[in-house]
Amino acid sequence: MSGLFSALFFGFCFGFLLNKARLTKYDTIVNQFRFKDFTVLKYMLTTLIVAMPIVYLMQGLGFYTISNVPNTYIVGNLLGGAIFGVGMAIGGF
Amino acid sequence: MSWIWKQIKAEAWNPYVAGALFGVVVALAPILTGNLMGSSGSFLNLAGLIEKTVAPKLADNMFFKYIWQLGVNWQLILLIGVFVGAMASAMFSGTFKLSSSTSQWREIFGPEKWKRWVLAFCAGIIVQYGASLAGGCTSGLAISGTMLLAPAGLIFTAGLFGTGIITTLVIYRGRY
Repeated sequence: MSGLFSALFFGFCFGFLLNKARLTKYDTIVNQFRFKDFTVLKYMLTTLIVAMPIVYLMQGLGFYTISNVPNTYIVGNLLGGAIFGVGMAIGGF
Repeated sequence: MSWIWKQIKAEAWNPYVAGALFGVVVALAPILTGNLMGSSGSFLNLAGLIEKTVAPKLADNMFFKYIWQLGVNWQLILLIGVFVGAMASAMFSGTFKLSSSTSQWREIFGPEKWKRWVLAFCAGIIVQYGASLAGGCTSGLAISGTMLLAPAGLIFTAGLFGTGIITTLVIYRGRY
């Protein structure tokens, strides 16, 4: 059961930070696609810059083995992403 | 201590700070719990669970039998946490209010409320269809996938920004 508490905790942090970065707003998402507001890219790329070394350092030190990596199907990922982008630009989420 | 409280009550943080903190969170999730932080699968799960209770015959298909395991899983609880967390953040900063659209949205699409609801509903269907086809969403594939250097994440992000920019270009036309 502790797994479900951890899910609640991680979800709380996720939602809290998204809201504090204004990423829960229509304007922020759409203005990224208009290149007027770079909040989305600033947020996503800093996240990656911080997260990648942690994951690979932990793996190097032997605390963690990378598992359940998302599968790659080039057509599926690209087409899915393309459809996702249309919805994201219309709805702003 | 009062500094922390002041930050919690702030309306918005620098996106670099929020992003860096989220980087720590998103990296610790698979290390400590073995789960990637994805959210699109939980909607699929939720819809499947509702289908199973309302129309069990319809839910008794190949997809839910062999491809997708229904059940209250880690990511479904994560979604509840996201909802509570975002609401807590808005309430602490005092920006919490019920509204259906922003002023920028009304400028483009007009003041009608039903339009926003209909468009948001359709956009939700499109987003969920795309996410299911790709196997993840912005958080599960674009961030967690790319973090593990999965090509899927990068391909997905390329597709997302490509059509996102084109769609906004079409919607905003002269005001782009």
